[in-house]
Amino acid sequence: MSLFPFLAVATLGAALAVALRGRRRAGTLAGFAGVAAALLALVLTVPGEPLQLGGVAVAMTPYARVLLGVGLAGGLLVLAVSRLATWEATGPATLLVAASGLAVALGVGGAIPGLLAVGATSALAAAVALAHPATPLRVRALARELRGATLAMAIGILAVSLAPEAIGGLAVQPQVAGLALVAAGLALGHRFGAIPLHARVARLSDAAPASVLPVLLALLPAGWAVVLLGWAPDTLGPAAPVIGWDGTVLVIVGLATLVLGTFAALIQDDLLRIVAYTVVLDAGVVVLGFSSLDPAGREAVRAWLVPFVASRAALVGWVVAFRAGFGTARLSEARGWLRRAPTLGVSLIAIGAATVGWPGMLVWDARLAALQAASAGPALAVATIASLGTAVAIARILGTGFGRPLPRVAAAPGELARVPAGLRAAARALRNPGGKRTATLRAASNEVRPLLEMNRTPLRALLVVILAGLALMAASGAFGIGDAAAGPDLPVATPVTSLPAP
Amino acid sequence: MTLLLVAAGALVALGAGVATGARSARAASLGALASLVFVPFVADPLPEIPVGLFRIVAGVLAAFLLLVAGRRATDESASPLGLPATLATAAAAFVAGLGATAVGLPSFGPSAAVGAGLACLAVALPPVIRARDAFRLGIALVVLANAGLLLRTGLSGASPALEVLVGGAALVALAAAILALAGMAVTATGALTIPGGAVERRRPPA
Repeated sequence: MSLFPFLAVATLGAALAVALRGRRRAGTLAGFAGVAAALLALVLTVPGEPLQLGGVAVAMTPYARVLLGVGLAGGLLVLAVSRLATWEATGPATLLVAASGLAVALGVGGAIPGLLAVGATSALAAAVALAHPATPLRVRALARELRGATLAMAIGILAVSLAPEAIGGLAVQPQVAGLALVAAGLALGHRFGAIPLHARVARLSDAAPASVLPVLLALLPAGWAVVLLGWAPDTLGPAAPVIGWDGTVLVIVGLATLVLGTFAALIQDDLLRIVAYTVVLDAGVVVLGFSSLDPAGREAVRAWLVPFVASRAALVGWVVAFRAGFGTARLSEARGWLRRAPTLGVSLIAIGAATVGWPGMLVWDARLAALQAASAGPALAVATIASLGTAVAIARILGTGFGRPLPRVAAAPGELARVPAGLRAAARALRNPGGKRTATLRAASNEVRPLLEMNRTPLRALLVVILAGLALMAASGAFGIGDAAAGPDLPVATPVTSLPAP
Repeated sequence: MTLLLVAAGALVALGAGVATGARSARAASLGALASLVFVPFVADPLPEIPVGLFRIVAGVLAAFLLLVAGRRATDESASPLGLPATLATAAAAFVAGLGATAVGLPSFGPSAAVGAGLACLAVALPPVIRARDAFRLGIALVVLANAGLLLRTGLSGASPALEVLVGGAALVALAAAILALAGMAVTATGALTIPGGAVERRRPPA
């Protein structure tokens, strides 16, 4: 099956979810059905089967399939956790817009169409995510996002135009290659939130609904990285030895992002801000991997991006469940939470393990390979230590879980499942051989809603456990992530005319 | 470089200048329309007819969305530079772009595209950085995206058909996002103002 059914299902689902966002029940049904159908269509898509568009073939690569699959599955679980807490109407539509746009961006050969597609998708997904309800904070965040996405797209296009794929790497002059490298690296750094371009990440975490954050902070930036990594090492790589200080600038940005991002994550009190700054510090890994211009570094970053997307979805889902359970997302107001939510505690440990990993695990090896491709000696040591910042931030959250619970925490609902009295009575009646089965079953069916209402907290905890499992699987290289990341991209679309001599 | 290419490039540059410099929202939208519609003609060779038509239709659609977004725009939010200065900037950048390849800028495409791209870039950047109005910001963002596409044609040569198609679709998507921003701004503030600007920070509400 080609890419077309996936695109059709995702686009239709997004349109339906946008149209029904004002209706709680119908919107939930349409949104969840759309995401599930898109996931199914993605699974059925055969990598490499072409879809003719504009005289050129568009196809799904194995890597795009695994990245989008993990993004959609993680996003769906976060939406489910969020739906058990509150109704964030724009979540499903944002996920579907991002998935369909990224399928095009990663399915067209070449950096320029990819940048155009991922830039437009970023703008559209942000508009869908923030548009409803309109508040001054969201207007400001959307304006910032549109500015950033368009500027990054224009800068990226300029960078690629200075050193197009078609002319081959060795034909690029060193000065031009250096300029293109810095421009593309800064565009990529901005989309990921590298320091000092990290303001968008913090503002988005303040303004956007939590359920869209995995898309806006992880999945879409990953798309930008894949597009630019498909171009830079092949085109600029041969000129890398003669590129001067330009490459060093990006290495400094990457190192500063890792170190300062860790500090920033450690001083935040708001859990969503902590998650946002873990994204910022991980931007350092991407910028460093990009700056290496080494195909090995590219493969490492591509492999690392999939567990990155999964672990960030799991972290956001965890925060949504925590906030719903305790009524706060502030660490200072949640001392002793571990006693009331041990399942969330175990999930957080699993998410931490999936984020950082250990030697032999894909996420650890890939991150280390990306850092090694760009740095050596003391710089590598600093980068390696700082890249463990997410684990430290998670340990800090866990640390506040110990101690005597604050009154707010002690009053929170526990994670044990409860059964309504009516349902228990119905179960007893069913065990009685002389009972009226039909009437009992009808009475039991009326207890389904109370059962759901009473067990929102355990259900959220269960979904977070599944999210943590997904993150752990991605971190250990399940779904063929390693092979997919090492696989080739689609060939660049052939220009209308071959390039003449300048 | 033919006269047709230069004329099309000049029209694109002129349109970009009007789009970002005009006081009236309607004139600005018409400028954006001219800037977007003439882009397919600033290429050598010209794109195939269906591809070029798609790009023109995409440009018309994007300009229409901008026109709708600017229904509540006021003259006060226009560029403080004014139309004559903006047009002069566009003209200067266009001429500089035309001459840039003559003094050594490596370029595989027509100089007119480089000139038009530079003109769009020069007039779009100031409002992208400082605009506090959703419509003015949006129109500058579309002109900026157009600048990227023109410079790509000028520096790297004629674009493949797929790229033209994706570029047209991207412009329409961007214009749709801008329309959403304008709608949000009207709902949240009663006008097209983007809250939280430098002026508001200096003078916090009592």
